[in-house]
Amino acid sequence: MILLPQARGIIARRQVLDTLVRRDLHVRYAGSPIGYLWTILDPLAMALIYFVVFTYIFEARHVGYQPYVLFIVIGVLAWQWFSQCATETSRALLAESRLVRSTNLPRELWVVRIVVAKGIEFLLSLPVMFGFAIFFIAVGETKIHYRIVLLPVAIVLQFLLSVGVGLILAPVTVLFTDMPRIVRIALRMGFYATPIIYGVHAAPPVLQKILLLNPMAGILEMYRAGFFPHELNVPSIISSFVITFATLIAGTIVFKRLEAPVLKEI
Amino acid sequence: MRPVIEAKDLGIEFYRSRRRKMSLREIVFKGKNLAPKDTFWALRNISFTVEQGEAVGLVGGNGSGKSTLLKMIAGVMIPDEGGVKVRGGVAPLIELTGGFLGELTARDNLYLAGGLHGLSKAQMDERYDEIVDFAGPQVRAGMDMAYRHFSSGMQVRLAFALITTLDEPIVLVDEVLAVGDRAFREKCYLRMENMLAGGKTLFMVSHSEADLRRFAKRGLYLQQGRLVGDGPVEEIIEQYNADADAAR
Repeated sequence: MILLPQARGIIARRQVLDTLVRRDLHVRYAGSPIGYLWTILDPLAMALIYFVVFTYIFEARHVGYQPYVLFIVIGVLAWQWFSQCATETSRALLAESRLVRSTNLPRELWVVRIVVAKGIEFLLSLPVMFGFAIFFIAVGETKIHYRIVLLPVAIVLQFLLSVGVGLILAPVTVLFTDMPRIVRIALRMGFYATPIIYGVHAAPPVLQKILLLNPMAGILEMYRAGFFPHELNVPSIISSFVITFATLIAGTIVFKRLEAPVLKEI
Repeated sequence: MRPVIEAKDLGIEFYRSRRRKMSLREIVFKGKNLAPKDTFWALRNISFTVEQGEAVGLVGGNGSGKSTLLKMIAGVMIPDEGGVKVRGGVAPLIELTGGFLGELTARDNLYLAGGLHGLSKAQMDERYDEIVDFAGPQVRAGMDMAYRHFSSGMQVRLAFALITTLDEPIVLVDEVLAVGDRAFREKCYLRMENMLAGGKTLFMVSHSEADLRRFAKRGLYLQQGRLVGDGPVEEIIEQYNADADAAR
């Protein structure tokens, strides 16, 4: 089994992981007077923009479920975690090259550490999501559905997906310098290729099939399941499980293969 | 007693050009690179063992592969051929300030870098005074300053103090003894000698004959990636000097 030794190595060094994550959060919040607020201001501003554009200009509320604000906020927050992970993990080994060169740690740690740090920021932004949810429950526009139990499943799955993607991107970037640019374009396209500001139900049937290939579609479906009483898109969820684990295994293999050349290069 | 460092047929191949970047696809899908190669072996057929408590000095000209060998022992580079087994923890005095970040305070940096080398917060609390005392009063006065405001000498002093308190059985040294002012250098020497007296294994790279004579008992001589000498440090230094003179 390929995933086990890597996972064991990371767990054995969880204290170091903890140190690195603390350092990331420390560095991120030390330099800014309103520190934590930036974590939620950014996605909130994005959500506000999409809300205004799509409800008042395009009058396209129906592309998402109601309440549309909550629909967008969940999508944008989760996407932000994913896209920041992809951006930063692609630089993970280069940005810390001095540390990678001077400490003998399982090298996967440099990827996992970013996903965990960004994940904690994501968790810290969840109160915003719950705030909106509670507001809309209070005004009677939505109800909490028992399917909210899928929310933690979604978080774990997104974590694994991001680690898998990061394990591919980090070593490839070292050997192929143009990778960050490609990632940037891919993420921009990915934003629209993911049901963030629209629901899968609003897409034409052909696109719905293509969206099955996007693991984030199923993950968002699980995030939203507890707040929107629509019919659950089970194929999408199953597909995202399959793709996530495939990505994780592919990532582990790629990382293992490229580790030696990467260490020579940094 | 099994040797603490055991290198067997160690070899590592580097690329002269950047052609490798094109061959990513081959590495991933075929497990090897099929693009035309322009490579050289930085090290090849290196075999030796180091027993516990030995003090070994690595000698050789520039580009003979000394640092590369040290990195493979430290586990921060992976050989293409053979392998090196290291039994016990390693305190790497290589790229000393690697774990430090300019924007954080020296104190935060110390705890973080300690954490990276496997020390818990409690262990760091315990050793904090010892480390800072060793780094000197100037450093102590600046512990709440941003690390980047330290002079480069002070930065290295703090890092040296930290790594040498790690208490690992194997110490790898890459030319770092040349840091700091005269007084601090003498302190470093004393600490190294204490570590040696405490039964630690030392593996050092140096161009300074004085350092080599002072610390190493045994010498290894690398010439263009081959191990050409292994014996008492005095003989190895002579052999190296004779070769260097002959080449002139």
